[in-house]
Amino acid sequence: MSTQIISVLVEDEAGSLTRMSGMFSRRGINIHSLTVSPSEKEGMSRMTIITTGDKREIERIEKQLNKIIEVVKVNMLDKNTSVVRDLCLLKVYADKENRAEIIEIANAFKSNIVDISIRTITLEISADPLDIDRFVETMKNYGIKELFRTGVTAISRDIEKKSGG
Amino acid sequence: MNEGLKGTEIVVKCLKEENIKHIFGFPGGSLIPLYNELYEETDVRNILVRHEQGAVHAADGYARASGNTGVCMATSGPGATNLITGLLNATMDSIPLVAFTGQVPTSAIGTDAFQEADTFGITMPITKHNFLVKSTDRLSWTIKGAFKIANTGRKGAVVIDLPNDVQQAASKEYHHGEVKFAGYNPNIVPNPLQLKRIAQKLIEAERPLILAGGGIIHANASEDLRLLAEYLGAGVATTLMGKGAIPENHPLSLGMVGMHGRLGANKMINSCDALLVIGCRFSDRTTGWGLESFAPEAIKIHCDIDSSELNKNIPVDFPLVGDASLVIRNLIKFIKKYEDVKKETNIWRKRVNQLHGMCEECETTKHKEDKLTPEVIIKTINNFLDENAIVTTEVGQNQMFAAHYYITKKPRQFISSGGLGTMGFGFPAAIGAKVAKPDNQVLDIAGDGSFLMVCQELATAVAEDIPVVVAVLNNSFLGMVRQWQELFWDKRYSGTKLGTIPDFVKLAESFGAYGERVENVGDVEKALKNAFDSGVVSVLDFKIESETNILPMIPPGGRVDEMIGVGRCQHR
Repeated sequence: MSTQIISVLVEDEAGSLTRMSGMFSRRGINIHSLTVSPSEKEGMSRMTIITTGDKREIERIEKQLNKIIEVVKVNMLDKNTSVVRDLCLLKVYADKENRAEIIEIANAFKSNIVDISIRTITLEISADPLDIDRFVETMKNYGIKELFRTGVTAISRDIEKKSGG
Repeated sequence: MNEGLKGTEIVVKCLKEENIKHIFGFPGGSLIPLYNELYEETDVRNILVRHEQGAVHAADGYARASGNTGVCMATSGPGATNLITGLLNATMDSIPLVAFTGQVPTSAIGTDAFQEADTFGITMPITKHNFLVKSTDRLSWTIKGAFKIANTGRKGAVVIDLPNDVQQAASKEYHHGEVKFAGYNPNIVPNPLQLKRIAQKLIEAERPLILAGGGIIHANASEDLRLLAEYLGAGVATTLMGKGAIPENHPLSLGMVGMHGRLGANKMINSCDALLVIGCRFSDRTTGWGLESFAPEAIKIHCDIDSSELNKNIPVDFPLVGDASLVIRNLIKFIKKYEDVKKETNIWRKRVNQLHGMCEECETTKHKEDKLTPEVIIKTINNFLDENAIVTTEVGQNQMFAAHYYITKKPRQFISSGGLGTMGFGFPAAIGAKVAKPDNQVLDIAGDGSFLMVCQELATAVAEDIPVVVAVLNNSFLGMVRQWQELFWDKRYSGTKLGTIPDFVKLAESFGAYGERVENVGDVEKALKNAFDSGVVSVLDFKIESETNILPMIPPGGRVDEMIGVGRCQHR
């Protein structure tokens, strides 16, 4: 079993999100995260889907996605050659004693402080989802009041080939 | 001032441009505008069914018999939900079908209005594609797109949900020419390199076998398939959907494989060294269970128009995406050069011919016993019908008896619900087939259970003058489930005894149809003649034994080589 990032370019038609997610549920495949946003092409959106499966299952998902009429392009992204990001907003309990300590850790994770109240600090972090997982784990020590994650979005890196090689 | 065309005028105009002459439908509140448009229409004939399930199955049968897209219509809410079974039936068997459904006005959508159903949502997972038309401006584009999707690539059902106001509003927008979808380009040209590799493997094979699926019939590739088989000296087995892909009286034909397939065909699957599978999706009814032991000695080659079927159920050595007709023609081109591949005299070919001959003998010899059995009835049907006759079936024992014993000589002349196994399919499908091919004899091999599910369509066939013949193999049981209960569930006949209700002859007569009861072997042929001569839809009530089984079969969970009840086969 491995995690697969799938980037899908899809025409903006009513119901296309249902059609996509319906394919996953009908074929008994789990979706770990799904994000939808406008793409660079007018009238088309980009969906980023995180799913798990063995090689054959992943191949099956790719083919089934390609069968959907509104799906224009399916990219199976490789984690190693892609930039993968997740955005997290997190409200953690903080008092006089530990506020400085929390800020120090947040800085170490390159997280921004977006709000402070007497009892809480709200932090924002945009990073690889695994880094966010570690950040969230660390913050659990102080007590997390609220947590929001947007789900993963990803883009492939353009790897320049050396000429003459 | 030019207001353009009304939505309903656009629908009829598009239907004419798609060369649709018949639709099967049933009106309702949300479809009154469209039916109003059809009132004086002479080029597009509405065949008024008596239940929407009849409409969708008839459109399905129409498409199977003709190769053209079948069209059906139903109103919003219950009308649309009554189409559901038939839509999935068509999609699972890759049948081109377009269904128009009425919908409440766009302003009322989402308010739980009278007869409102989320048809778009409900039909999404059971169709190839579906549309909800929210503006008359998009209507012509949508209809033309729907017909394109339904009848290209891997075919299937498409639903167009039409709100009442969209039908009535006018629009100047009319799409001319082909509709293009950015994400839909069914790849039908097979890869030449892979073709060459496959041809090479087939030439080298000593024991080649072809497994022909429904894809060959959809692609009109039957004639080419026969040529390929002859060049290779390969036996040809078929799936249920592939029945008719090769003339079953051809010496290389081995008949149907699978759970209720022929012993010989299943044995050959297990002993071939190259298995060429075309237009087949390896359903569990075809492969049996224990997939690793399916064709264990063979190099497996799988050609299908739908790439998602390749390596889905059975891992294969040589997958190839492509239209069956192009695949076969190109293979012939490669193989033609090798005159010696024909191997007229080789042992394998002799074995294929021998098995074919044994089955043929079994199918055509008269039974010595004078009991009225399904075998005898279907053998008599074989002799009675002419070469252009179309046979449809219901689902269950009647279907498997027909698959075993009815000898299909041409494609599109054996029509049966394969993937979904829908009881009540055969009779409306026969009506659709007869509308498509009015000059051909059309006969539905039915069971008493299945026929009763749709017998109200007798009214349609009488009123619309569609003289098909229904041959009810009446055993007063739900025969196939009863057979399983007998063989695998300790003869506990729970929920399967139907009794002798109704009197099918009186039922037929009450509709103005012809009815006749047959209790003796000697009367079968005469009854068939009476039915076809009657000029009206007919019901023949064949009283067969209650507890008769269709054998041999692969028991549930069993492998192809574990068939039971092989005693009847001469060629063990």
